[in-house]
Amino acid sequence: MRRKLAGALRATVAVALSAAFMLGVLVALSHLVMPKNNQAEFGQIDASAHGVAGERPNSIDVLFMGDSEAYSSFSPLDLWHARGITSYVVATSSQKLPYTRSLLAYALARQSPRVVVLDANCLFRPFSPGDALVRAAQDALPVFEYHNRWKSLTLEDVVGTVRTTWSDELKGFHLSAKVDPADASGYQTPTDRVASMPALSMAYLHDIARTCADRGAHLVLVSTPSTKNWDMAKHNRVRLVAEELGVDYVDLNMGDERVDIDWSTDTRDAGDHLNLSGARKVTARMGELLSGRYGLEGHRGDPAFDSWDEAYSRYERKVSEL
Amino acid sequence: MTSYFSPAVLGLFAPLSVIAYQLFPRRARWAALLGASLVFFWALSGRLVVFVLASAAIVWVGGMALGALARSRDRALAAEGAERRRVRRTYQRRMRAVLAVGVLLNVGILVALKYLGFLGSVAEGLGLGLPSLPSIGVPIGISFYTLQAVSYLTDVYRGVVPADANPARLALFLTFFPQVMEGPIARYSQTAQALWSGRPVTARGLFLGGTRVLWGLSKYLLVANRLNSFVKPVFADPASYDGSVIAVAAVLYTMQLYCDFSGTIDFAVGMARVFGVEEPENFRQPFLSRTASEFWQRWHVTLGSWLKDYVFYPVSLSRPVKHLTGAARRALGVRVGPAVASGVALLCVWVANGLWHGAGTQYLLFGLYYFVIIWLGGIVAPLSEGALARVGVSRDALPWRAFQHVRTLLVVFAGELLFRASGARQGISMLLRTVTDFSPASFVDGTMLGVGMDLHDFAVVGAFAVLLLVVGLVRERGSSPLERVWERGPAARLAIVTALVVMAVVFGAYGVGYVPVDPMYAQF
Repeated sequence: MRRKLAGALRATVAVALSAAFMLGVLVALSHLVMPKNNQAEFGQIDASAHGVAGERPNSIDVLFMGDSEAYSSFSPLDLWHARGITSYVVATSSQKLPYTRSLLAYALARQSPRVVVLDANCLFRPFSPGDALVRAAQDALPVFEYHNRWKSLTLEDVVGTVRTTWSDELKGFHLSAKVDPADASGYQTPTDRVASMPALSMAYLHDIARTCADRGAHLVLVSTPSTKNWDMAKHNRVRLVAEELGVDYVDLNMGDERVDIDWSTDTRDAGDHLNLSGARKVTARMGELLSGRYGLEGHRGDPAFDSWDEAYSRYERKVSEL
Repeated sequence: MTSYFSPAVLGLFAPLSVIAYQLFPRRARWAALLGASLVFFWALSGRLVVFVLASAAIVWVGGMALGALARSRDRALAAEGAERRRVRRTYQRRMRAVLAVGVLLNVGILVALKYLGFLGSVAEGLGLGLPSLPSIGVPIGISFYTLQAVSYLTDVYRGVVPADANPARLALFLTFFPQVMEGPIARYSQTAQALWSGRPVTARGLFLGGTRVLWGLSKYLLVANRLNSFVKPVFADPASYDGSVIAVAAVLYTMQLYCDFSGTIDFAVGMARVFGVEEPENFRQPFLSRTASEFWQRWHVTLGSWLKDYVFYPVSLSRPVKHLTGAARRALGVRVGPAVASGVALLCVWVANGLWHGAGTQYLLFGLYYFVIIWLGGIVAPLSEGALARVGVSRDALPWRAFQHVRTLLVVFAGELLFRASGARQGISMLLRTVTDFSPASFVDGTMLGVGMDLHDFAVVGAFAVLLLVVGLVRERGSSPLERVWERGPAARLAIVTALVVMAVVFGAYGVGYVPVDPMYAQF
């Protein structure tokens, strides 16, 4: 019996030491392949969203999060110009909630926003336990995400440290003035149907809400206008979800908060996403809500935020060149 | 479609299955394996799991009936004064009927679920109308487990294995999750009892099985996934590429198919080893073959041996073919005559092989392609050997061996091109263009690097091909590299596991910029 126990103990120690060694190797590799700056040129994936880390610490009032609906609908520099509120769009294409949670943690490591706006469309993007596992592995050991950088490693990758000095000039907004009208005839047809949302998604959303509450930020679920992606069944579900979480839900498609979208001019791809004209309407309505409901006062006139005025000037120039 | 190498399977399902298996008492471990296998099947095919259970029920009933008939026959034969010949004939007729019903039911399910659309289009082409049936989908691995079911029934009929009275064991034999998607096509005598025995998970089994899985994962991630970036666009739109790109795509597709399929088999064999079960090997260094016939003895070995045992021999030994062989021998002589007559059985094998892979003309063409090459090869071989002897060249002389290897590789690459093409017509057109539209300049003017893989990608594939060759040569000498590492002790084991993990994690083609390849043989 004693011999058996000793054998089991030896095996356990051997496995633990092997696992620790393996972990050490993966940690070292993670350091090696991590982009040493948060720019796309350095290999940063979703650089635009990660640009939030390049903003002055604790200078952002509002984080806009979600998928392509978010980065097409919220224009931080228009919000700044209208209200002096600082914001950043931490959104990526086809974002799934595990990634939303990771990006939120990434942003909150450097910023203390008062409001986190989550575009509700990404709540309905399905993901498997495997997707969640991959995301967790990528967060813990970046080599799982940046492994392909072996193709472009330099000496700097071996000896350098990770710096996050870069920020997107449009603060994460994807600017497009393209117009491709949408047929909105069946849009927002009333229904009692409630879209389904998997338990795993709810668990992630609960976690996101908890994180926001812990950091003193209001979580606001928002449905932006999109004839292709949004409908009443989703609205019905998000209303229930917001009640369950005890957070606000703003539907920009209907009721008092409805934004008057002209589907012949305000979409760049037949109703899938808004263009600049649509985004400005949505941003204006969000500005009213952020100032009114959440009491954000803005920083216009504060010299610490002069760079935002400069950024807006560049943005205006860019828009005028479109 | 979910691959065995998806994070959910590799990171959650497989480890949890092993833990659950080990935690169960030995006598009940079969239940953990069967439960995991049915959950796996259900996760991939949903309600269609009833079809694999139906197959298990059919072979259980069929096997029991065959067993009862065999016992009854033996009693009748033992009785005094029995007319042995008449008794044998009577029982043989009855057992054949049971076997035929069992086989037809199993194959009938396969045909109904997988081939009716194809048969309908063939009938339509012939001007015949077939009633269209609603499509309910195809259960995962149906082509694989159906062959296992048929082999079990046939083996019981032949008296090779006893009828199994335990339906759960038969269900586990058919559904064992590591092999259900892509094989290997195991025989009842190879795995059924071992699966049932509940052998404990050991450190040795865990190491040998786990490293085998990691080796398969490396093949899948480093090569199969990476080559998708080149192979997929070329086969999707061959008209946009010249003959040299198509030729390279044929070579790369062959490599992709090998790494995907043999990588998945590595998973199956490795996981089975963790559970204390020895699965049959499905690949034995196929690219070292000297003839197309030898290639098929080394590639998808379990399908080849299944077709040999359950198609080639029964057809060869059937009365009409025996008559044909006799006539051919008389007409063409003792050397060429039987070879010509064996073409009938060989044709059956290759048509079955082609159509087993799928319901499409390209698969039929693929089968006929190998039939012609192997059949003619069998007829020509004695003549070419005689010619070699006359000019004083040994069969084992290096130039002759090199010629044979190159010739076989070309045959294989061309065959895989036909196999991958979207239909027979496109396959033949692509094959012709590798000759008529071949442009050597494409290898130096950047054309190859513009298809979807950069120089780094080609370097990884090339380096891994060399590694595969080295491992293949070691295995060809009858040595198992992983066994040798195990015997060298803990430091060597840790080193090899670390090397495999680092290789797969760093050099694997996954994540942003790569589209994972669907498990190729799982579609067949």
